[in-house]
Amino acid sequence: MRRIGIAGAVALIASAALVGGAPRTTAASVKTVTIQAAQIKTLNPFLSYFDSELNILGSIYPSLYRYDANNNPVPYLAESATTSPDHLTWTFKIRQGLKWTDGQPITAKDAAWTFNLIMTNSDAATANGSLVTNFASVVAADDSTLVIKTKTPQANMPYISITITGIPIVPQHIWESKLKGLGKYLNSDYPVVGYGPFILAGYKTGQYATLEANKDFYEGKPKIDKLILQYFQNDDATIAALRTGQIAYARNLPATGWKSLQGAKGVLAFKEAPTRWTGVEINPGAETRSGKKLGTGNPILADPKVRLAIAYAIDRQTLVTKVLDGLGLPGAGYIPPAYTQFAWQPSANEVVGYDPAKANQILDAAGYPEHGTYRVDSRTGRELRFRLGTHSDDADDQAIAPYLVGWFKAIGIKLTPQAQSMSGLNDNLAKGDWDLLMDGWGTGPDPTYLLSIQTCGTLPKDDGTGGNTDAFFCDKHYDALFTQQSQQFDPKQRAATFARMQQILYDANCDIILYYNYILDAVRTDKVSNYPVGSENSSGTYPLQDAFASWEQAVPESSSGSSNAGFWVGIGIAAAVVVLAAAAFTVWRRRTAAERE
Amino acid sequence: MSDALAAELGAQSGSGAPRWYRSSFWPYFGGKLLGALISFLVMLVIGFTIFNVMPADPVATFTRQHPTSPKQIANLRHQLGVDLPVWHRFLNFVGHTMQGKLGDSWQYHQSVASLIGERLWPTVLLIGSSTVIAVALGLWLGIRSGWRHGSAFDRTASGVSLVLWSVPTFWLGLILLVVFTVGAGPIPSGLFPAGQMSTPGFSGSWLAHVGDTVHHLILPCLTLVLVIVAQYVTIMRSSIIDELGAPYLLTARAKGLRDDEVRRRHAVPNALLPTVTVIFLQLGTIVGGAIAVETVYSWPGLGFLTFQALEIPDLPLLEGTFIVLSASVIVMNLIADMVYRVLDPRVRAQ
Amino acid sequence: MSLVASPRTAGSRQAAAQFLRMPTAIAGLAILVIFTGAALTAPLYIHPSDLDVTQATGGQLAPPSRHYPLGTDQPGRSVLLLLIWGARASLAIGVIATLLAMVLGSAIGLVAGHYQRWLGRGLMHVTDWFIALPSLPLAISLAAVLGQGATSITIAIAITSWTATARLVRAQTLAVEARPFIDRARALGAGNMQIMVRHVLPNVAPLILVSSTLTVAGAILAETTLTFLGLGNPTEVSWGTMINRAYTGSAVSRGAWWYLLPPGIAIVLVVLGFTMTGRAVERILSPRARL
Repeated sequence: MRRIGIAGAVALIASAALVGGAPRTTAASVKTVTIQAAQIKTLNPFLSYFDSELNILGSIYPSLYRYDANNNPVPYLAESATTSPDHLTWTFKIRQGLKWTDGQPITAKDAAWTFNLIMTNSDAATANGSLVTNFASVVAADDSTLVIKTKTPQANMPYISITITGIPIVPQHIWESKLKGLGKYLNSDYPVVGYGPFILAGYKTGQYATLEANKDFYEGKPKIDKLILQYFQNDDATIAALRTGQIAYARNLPATGWKSLQGAKGVLAFKEAPTRWTGVEINPGAETRSGKKLGTGNPILADPKVRLAIAYAIDRQTLVTKVLDGLGLPGAGYIPPAYTQFAWQPSANEVVGYDPAKANQILDAAGYPEHGTYRVDSRTGRELRFRLGTHSDDADDQAIAPYLVGWFKAIGIKLTPQAQSMSGLNDNLAKGDWDLLMDGWGTGPDPTYLLSIQTCGTLPKDDGTGGNTDAFFCDKHYDALFTQQSQQFDPKQRAATFARMQQILYDANCDIILYYNYILDAVRTDKVSNYPVGSENSSGTYPLQDAFASWEQAVPESSSGSSNAGFWVGIGIAAAVVVLAAAAFTVWRRRTAAERE
Repeated sequence: MSDALAAELGAQSGSGAPRWYRSSFWPYFGGKLLGALISFLVMLVIGFTIFNVMPADPVATFTRQHPTSPKQIANLRHQLGVDLPVWHRFLNFVGHTMQGKLGDSWQYHQSVASLIGERLWPTVLLIGSSTVIAVALGLWLGIRSGWRHGSAFDRTASGVSLVLWSVPTFWLGLILLVVFTVGAGPIPSGLFPAGQMSTPGFSGSWLAHVGDTVHHLILPCLTLVLVIVAQYVTIMRSSIIDELGAPYLLTARAKGLRDDEVRRRHAVPNALLPTVTVIFLQLGTIVGGAIAVETVYSWPGLGFLTFQALEIPDLPLLEGTFIVLSASVIVMNLIADMVYRVLDPRVRAQ
Repeated sequence: MSLVASPRTAGSRQAAAQFLRMPTAIAGLAILVIFTGAALTAPLYIHPSDLDVTQATGGQLAPPSRHYPLGTDQPGRSVLLLLIWGARASLAIGVIATLLAMVLGSAIGLVAGHYQRWLGRGLMHVTDWFIALPSLPLAISLAAVLGQGATSITIAIAITSWTATARLVRAQTLAVEARPFIDRARALGAGNMQIMVRHVLPNVAPLILVSSTLTVAGAILAETTLTFLGLGNPTEVSWGTMINRAYTGSAVSRGAWWYLLPPGIAIVLVVLGFTMTGRAVERILSPRARL
């Protein structure tokens, strides 16, 4: 009786292998591509703000604009836009004849409803509330005309509703009924009604999301029928999956692992221009908006000369070589170099480079003589001893910290790294309880927000709330320039203002930009062709990748089927284990049965 | 550790409950259940204290890399309930727990209970399969080793299991992951998938799905088995050795039974008693091993969820997984007590 | 470690001889002596500049060579020197956490065994509650709340590993107190404190010693796991941080086995060393106990 049961189980496993077949062979007609994605927490377009989520939302919900290959806004849902002479009224013509994936027409009313919801409902404002703060009113004049009135002229209007980095527009008829409990709605009624090259067909929390091609997309159905975005916790696992063909594309790989993919067969490992920087913040004397002192920051750092000396003490090129394995650029300007139209670099005679001797000179001259191993402030007798907050989960922070400790020691400053959780670090930051902090920021093509966090308006109120300052930097001249750029509609003029703002930040040394890291990608050219990586520039760097364009244009190659071999081996081992166990059990039963007789 | 545990267990089973409890099953069960309930309540208090002694504000972390206005930040603080004073949060916590709720995760915008519900089954699968295999293997090795202790077989089995017990779980996992996915030396590349518990977008019959899951399960399961098997070898081996000198074995031999039969029919059933309880008690340790294994293999279970909660840290989620993991250990202890009672004829007879 | 000398009984010399006849005991002790010796003497031959990334001279993740017998890490430091230096932090955390756990566990076990009425029963209930808590999730939660670093990891490990000792010590205390010499001492006017410290403790001490060697093994494993999960102090060199760096920097994908394997093997050896020594002592103390 029992033996039959086991035989049955063995047969079951064997037939599972036979009947089921290996992955991806049964549905040969559906062209599936699996790629790596970072972690996805929620796909509710009003709540999502992680890159991995935004990449998906950009492909399943429309926006007024999308990016072209040079990261400039081009029309998407909005066919054209006109502005009034006072630049306060924007009139958008909405593309006609487009339909949500449930067949309902897409109209200006959907767009107006979405914007108004974000402006009035605090749950809906969770992710993108800051983008509409300057909006006075949004109305749909008719099905094809959207009118937005702003409080002050707003130069970055095209970036407000743009794929991936801006506001996605949702179908009013679907979301009207979701308003109650919007803050917890998971957007899990698959397939999700939206519009874009893809449709969200399913999502398993912490595992993968499945997108299916939208056959009604106005530029034609994408070549990939099914796009799966799979999450891996572990970089080694991601690289292993890429090597074995389990995934076709991965982004944001660590330098060491990426290098191991260079030259691998069927893999194009390429680097994108940097969109973020890693830096070290120095507390210039944290204050509230009204000038009240905050926190336990060391007052010595309020001296610009000390900060300048620190800037001279850091060897940025070595950090690029050692921490990034050479895969980055030494830092200087505040806007990352991927955005060539806005990026700024100091001229040759303005550069503060690695010069410990000069740093020592500055400190000597500024009244910080050496006293034993470390310097002291000759006025207060206080030692130059600072804390350095690092993100405990950030490998690069941990790699950089010991270098800073060594270089600071060379100029007579004692630096003590303190690894903290993100919340712990940000808590201390907001309270002003810090001396130096590791910091990193990335930005989309519109740097407005990145620049805004250095304005005085982002300092906390006297009760400690209401602040979202980067590092308690506050400069009236910088603030005036910030206001000025927001109303400059000529990109060239705006870029010139950005340059002056970046100069101010560079001279203040409150945010010392250490490096910009390349984004390291790899794509399996034997799994997808025509993946629009662009062409590399003279230094071997590729332009910034746009998930929207990449997925829309990539063409899947018929799978070579190499990954199936592993599946059969796995099944074979599993079957062998079961058979062995069954055999052992059977023998045992037979022997005990004999004893019982 | 396992030795101390075995010794400790011996002490525990003797003095576990006062004599009058044992008169019949239900009062005994009731007493144990009450004890478990008290343990659970105390665990809740400990859990709340740990996670609320230092209230952390995750809002700055969420908004750090994203355009946010001060108004948005204030709203988010309110949404997450971190703007409330500690006493208010404690009342909320008690209220929620009484209703079986575990609060809402800070980072996922959904209830902790639903997240845990999704991740429970993969963990049960992983821990369950590894425990079954490790117990079967461990008992077999333990019996053989104990019966002929000092033999070459015993020394090899004990030595290997001792070494495996000393291996850090995640380190072993990392090595197996790289060797069996990327390949090394004669081992071909792509033998096993690099993480997760299923091939996304897999299509096929349900049997093929089972095959696919097994394929993904093999490496994490192997890692966990290798690390935990030593406990069972050690415990079974020492129980057998304890039985070796027992007079009933002498009697059995005197009756003319073969050595094999003496072992199988007399020594093993008696030695199994303490071992079975230990199997349940050990599940708590395995839960710890599962956190490391799930993290290395991106196995979407409770351990992995715990790890993901650490990043922010997402305290409600951490609190939720803590409560669920602890509760499962308490339940296992309860089951261990029950199993012991059912199996041990001495306890049953009284 | 003066494992052999501490039992103050007449048979201590005999025990030592017995200990030295066991090959596993010798091997375990040898491992411990080598590692402890290397850790203690490290400052004599490892200069701070060898560990300073700004002064590292080797190539990045260079394979083993004559100058770097175990290769180099990402900044170009010698993995061998890091390994030796890392022993200091790993052993220190393991030993200090164990000491804390032993003090706590022994005190509770002793008191619970001596005062057998409500105090003893209450303490045993507390112990049972802690036994019911899964140790790694509890340690993770504690470390997450206390903040990163060696101190919080040490505390977390100590809090999760004292229970076994408390139980053992209580059981032993009960056995010792049942012996006639305790009654004699009481009759001669010894107080509770005196009985516990002067009469019971010396008899329980060997057991505490065994328990502590086994706890150190567990504590070192726990330290590496917590550090691996990102709860340690990443700027300090320890075996856990080495594995963590190899993991987060995906050194393995690059084929840099010399960065991942040595710290793991060192952990295995030290844990083995403590376990083998502990078991040998346990076997001498109670010959019938599990060989």
